[in-house]
Amino acid sequence: MLVLDDNGASLDILSQVVSGFGVKQLHRAETVMDAQSLVRTKTFDLIISDVQMPVTDGIEFIEWLRKESGETNRYVPVILVTGHTRTSQIFKLRDAGSNYVVAKPITPKVLLERIFWVAREERQFIECDNYVGPDRRFRHEGPPPGSDGRRKDDLPAEVGEAQAPNMSDDEIANLMRPAKVQI
Amino acid sequence: MTVRKFRPPNRLASMIKDKGGILAKDAVAAAEAGVESLREASMAALDESLAEIERRFGKAAENRANESFEVLYLLASKVIDVSIFVADAGIDKAAMSLCGLADSCAEIGAWRWDAVDVHLNALKLLRAMGAQLPPEQRDAMLQGLYQVSHYRPEEG
Repeated sequence: MLVLDDNGASLDILSQVVSGFGVKQLHRAETVMDAQSLVRTKTFDLIISDVQMPVTDGIEFIEWLRKESGETNRYVPVILVTGHTRTSQIFKLRDAGSNYVVAKPITPKVLLERIFWVAREERQFIECDNYVGPDRRFRHEGPPPGSDGRRKDDLPAEVGEAQAPNMSDDEIANLMRPAKVQI
Repeated sequence: MTVRKFRPPNRLASMIKDKGGILAKDAVAAAEAGVESLREASMAALDESLAEIERRFGKAAENRANESFEVLYLLASKVIDVSIFVADAGIDKAAMSLCGLADSCAEIGAWRWDAVDVHLNALKLLRAMGAQLPPEQRDAMLQGLYQVSHYRPEEG
């Protein structure tokens, strides 16, 4: 795992949190340049990066990762962490190509939940001229009412008849059983 | 425009599915214990940032009009970064509001010193006794800060 934050105190907190999760190999970087060097030479399973950083920020880092870093790490899940998003950066942040954005101050419980979420998500990866990253649509609610949608895989808003019987209480309970973590 | 949609291998998902590991609640407990070891250093970093904000942007700072919006924004961001131990005092939210204020001042290219002063006073109060304040009073104060930082003079 790679954690990137220009603020040493914040990087320490982030590192302690993920170490507590049992991360076996943790690499820390305080600048995007250091992070880029690591990305070129190591294989990562998850990257957690701050957004606000001097010279090159977390948004530019993720854009570089998705477009120019090479095949080894370009599809790696990325969680961005930020205390505040500037008005001018809201759309840039959405379009950077991260899998999730978590608000600072981070807490272990929230970060672990987000890591699970990122590991289990089934969004497709999108590559086009102006965006590389996970599908920015988190939910599939169908096209806007009254329209047929503009994508081939848009589903109609109407819900059809159930194709399978309802789940039993045991099946539902099994979905929520205590989870084990191994990162 | 060509759009390619696909599902790349997710190594993280494979690792989490592997047998072994620790229970999520134990992972959270271990992480919380690790973070706790940083309490002293984090509080020192927090107080250092608050002191620098006061020194450079407080009412007594002679040169504050020449400071940059960016410096205030970054200092307030640093406060948020290490505010995990004072979240019950509302300092993180007050600092977020200060970030919003610095960002809005940068957009219009002018300082709103009355708004800066009220944020700095609130941060001092929250740092001193934020956790002891009745929750409704603290929430009202934070809501007030949010409204001040998002106030747009041209919108009335």
